[in-house]
Amino acid sequence: MSKPKKPNGNHRVSRRKFLKTAGIVGEAVTAGLLVKPQVRVKAQPSPKGAPLGPGRVEIALDINNQKRVLNVEPRVTLLEALREHLGLTGTKRICDHGACSACTVLVDGRATCSCMTLAVDVQGKKVTTIEGLAQGKTLHPLQKAFIEHDALQCGFCTPGMILSLKALLDKHPRATPRQVKAAVAGNYCRCGALPNILKAAEAVAKT
Amino acid sequence: MYPTNRAGRSTARSPQEAPRRKRIKAKVGLAEKPQVVEIEVPDRELPVWDLDAKLAVVGKRVPRIEGAEKVTGQAKYALDYTPRDLPGLLYGKILRSSFAHARVEKIDASKAQTLPGVKAVILFDKGQGFDPSAILAVMSDGPTSTPPDRVVIFEGEEIAAVAAESEQLAEDALRLIEVKFRRLPHVVDHEEARQPNAPLVHRGTQSNVVAGEGQTRGDLEKGFKEAEVVIERTLRVPVLLHNSPECHVAVAKWEGKKLTVWASTQGVNGFRDDLSKTFKMDKADVRVITQHMGGGFGSKFGMQSFGAIATALAQKAGAPVKLAYDRHEENLAAGNRPDATMWVRLGAKKDGTLTALHCRSYGTAGFGRDASVTPMMAIVYKCPNIQLEDSDVYTHAGQGMPMRAPGFPQGSFAIESVMDELAAELKMDPLELRRKNFVDQPLLALDKMYALGAEKIGWSRRNELGPKTNSPIKHGLGMGTAVWPNYCGPPAVCRVTISADGSVEAAMAVQDIGTGTRTVVAMVAAEELGVPVEFVKVNIGDTSLELIAPDSGGSVTALSISPAVRAAAADAKQQLFKKVAPALKAQPGELLCEGGKIFARGKPAKSLTWQQATARLGATPIAGRGERLPNVEAYSLPLWGAQFAEVEVDTETGQVRVLRMVAVHEAGRALNPAMFESQVYGGVMMGVGYALLERRTMDKPEGRVINPNLEDYKMISSEELPEIETVIVEPITPMNNIGGKGLGEPPTVPTAAAIANAVAHALGMRIYELPLSPDRILDALEARKEA
Repeated sequence: MSKPKKPNGNHRVSRRKFLKTAGIVGEAVTAGLLVKPQVRVKAQPSPKGAPLGPGRVEIALDINNQKRVLNVEPRVTLLEALREHLGLTGTKRICDHGACSACTVLVDGRATCSCMTLAVDVQGKKVTTIEGLAQGKTLHPLQKAFIEHDALQCGFCTPGMILSLKALLDKHPRATPRQVKAAVAGNYCRCGALPNILKAAEAVAKT
Repeated sequence: MYPTNRAGRSTARSPQEAPRRKRIKAKVGLAEKPQVVEIEVPDRELPVWDLDAKLAVVGKRVPRIEGAEKVTGQAKYALDYTPRDLPGLLYGKILRSSFAHARVEKIDASKAQTLPGVKAVILFDKGQGFDPSAILAVMSDGPTSTPPDRVVIFEGEEIAAVAAESEQLAEDALRLIEVKFRRLPHVVDHEEARQPNAPLVHRGTQSNVVAGEGQTRGDLEKGFKEAEVVIERTLRVPVLLHNSPECHVAVAKWEGKKLTVWASTQGVNGFRDDLSKTFKMDKADVRVITQHMGGGFGSKFGMQSFGAIATALAQKAGAPVKLAYDRHEENLAAGNRPDATMWVRLGAKKDGTLTALHCRSYGTAGFGRDASVTPMMAIVYKCPNIQLEDSDVYTHAGQGMPMRAPGFPQGSFAIESVMDELAAELKMDPLELRRKNFVDQPLLALDKMYALGAEKIGWSRRNELGPKTNSPIKHGLGMGTAVWPNYCGPPAVCRVTISADGSVEAAMAVQDIGTGTRTVVAMVAAEELGVPVEFVKVNIGDTSLELIAPDSGGSVTALSISPAVRAAAADAKQQLFKKVAPALKAQPGELLCEGGKIFARGKPAKSLTWQQATARLGATPIAGRGERLPNVEAYSLPLWGAQFAEVEVDTETGQVRVLRMVAVHEAGRALNPAMFESQVYGGVMMGVGYALLERRTMDKPEGRVINPNLEDYKMISSEELPEIETVIVEPITPMNNIGGKGLGEPPTVPTAAAIANAVAHALGMRIYELPLSPDRILDALEARKEA
């Protein structure tokens, strides 16, 4: 492992994957394995900084108004940093592809898929996770409304739903039902909590 | 490997049935049409909570007791165990086949094994098809295996596994494993797999087709002779993917000879039993824990590959291992709903009375079994002469598993489509045709369900809608009947503990899969004890409790466990009454507890509060125990419902929009109306997806799944969500001491059928294959224009 480097500012690194090409010899095929669709992306140094990694780097994050310092490989996503390194497992992983919004967190107030965001890229930004919504024992109005309206079943999509809606209501406190529907259109739910989720959010938007 | 019972649970009776029995009366059925019935039950059975029961907690909209945990991110799922919880935790990953059918000629994991941070590598280099229950026999330590004796039979099959210090490192290690495949001919389509020259999926078989048990009743030939109208059609449904939010995940930890597994499972007991068999251990040495889990829908019974491989990796690495599938793996190898081609022939008299039903169905559960669809057809309408034949067709694809009401949504689409065509032929209202053919069943409330549903959807408008309008957008109404057999019953055991500080704990080894089981336990215990629901702490999801409960599937959980919870609470309450009776100068038998106050019947003025009473317990808490007693068989009857759909179809784009669904359902006693509605929403949403959007698509020449992800496998979102109105009908049953039945599956049984009927009504023509996607609708409209 190389010595941890302190990144400064605005770099860009992508999740590194090593694509192994399938070689075909006659009828026999040698294949690495089955992996997710692969994109070969070169680490692009930003004008300000050198490329990071592949070794660990020290990064400082602002999570729920707390400063957290981590020593991780630059390919670590924000989702993985939150869950596996900081123990903030309220942020859920369903698809890890940006297709379900279960891993939604707020980055400077904006609903963001943490699985599609590198941890190193949110330095200097404020990250809010589901663990940061309640004030002590006082729940956020959305959290209260979710419980009152039975807007959760297995509960796995719940944190992402709440944060998608918080991003909306922070901007549009009196959001219309149409806006509410659109705000969670990318949030996947299989149990069927969705009708009550819409009701819960509409109830908060009315107050 | 695959649950043999459709409900995914044992139907074994409790060994100790009480020998002495008593006859009791109960006022049951619908409140407006009560019936007093006499039933025989074991001596120790409690009186039924019947129509006369005054209930303070059960039947109320009690919010889920774990709600706060779930909205704050504190609820802990198996996926949420990290190195912070389990120091030294490693991450497992599985190397899977890229091919549908291939001989594995070489596996070399030596490079992977030497990668720093990789702690265990195991190869599955023996056998044809990976059988997790035989993992110890088919596994080797590697790092190389030349030549392996291995054939893979579907894309996604397990070939090797690693455990490493991080998930990415484990993925890096997988990429370093070299595998040489020699491809073999494959078949992934069940029609092609049925052909005599098709490549065989399983060695030692003569054909990919396996006939199911089937069912016959009466005399089919006679039935068709009596028929004045006969409808014959072939219908098709696609393979569906469960796509549970939480992928299959297990975290395994060995301590000497003891094993603990945190698992995302629908059944901690079944999981534990599988582990103990596979790893040849005493059940007492295996502990399975599921506090919260992110959905299963039938795909999470038993240990399966993820449980076996996590456990084997943890053993090899000498450290705890978390093995979590990603979405891609989940959709290749963790279950699916089988497809079906269903040929149906239905005969009836001119007045609509059914005389004969013949169905022949083929479907594929991949390399696994049970693609049957006809059990639904046998029970939904009364028909004296039936012959139902199901065949499974093996294909080189991931194994089917039960998915919410296994076989029933498929069968529903077929029979309800044909019923509607029969109605059209007879010039009868479709609802009227169904009313003609009710099954004989005591306490059947289907007539009321039809009436309520018809009223709420505005069925009387039906004749004004349909294809006649000038607008390119056509409106239609359709309906279908929900039915599901009742599998509730023993065994289930609960312990209710009351402590001196007034706290109550209800414990049993059941799991809450998101249906609200935890809340139901608290409500039933609170009701029987006479205390507010907040007094009750629930301790579930852990086999080490040694309080057996069913795995959660087949709509069995709530009404298998509730009578046991009630019995345990009643036992604890009687023990408490014995302790405090002297203080109230009363006999224990005279005491009551209501709203947290204990007093003698008729003397509420002299009472003890719950806390005053329990303070007398001293250091030894009271432990009450309760057992689920057998059902009153005569009333162990199916669960019913009816759904009505209103749709609009754009004949220019082929787009179908479901505007409204009215879902009328029963669960006997509705334990919690809010959670009842939530169950119905879930069933309906899944059904809308089945009708319009969902299908697993295969690349036939390559034998691979094209859409094993959430971006190409389309499911319902808030944008497609129709207005859903749930109507609860409550025919109380004397089957058990709660008066209830169950609800999980019925709400998804008729949804797709109702929508398909509504679309057929709107267009004035029928499409016989799901999903009703725009391409299919436009093709059908085009074909009609040409004809």
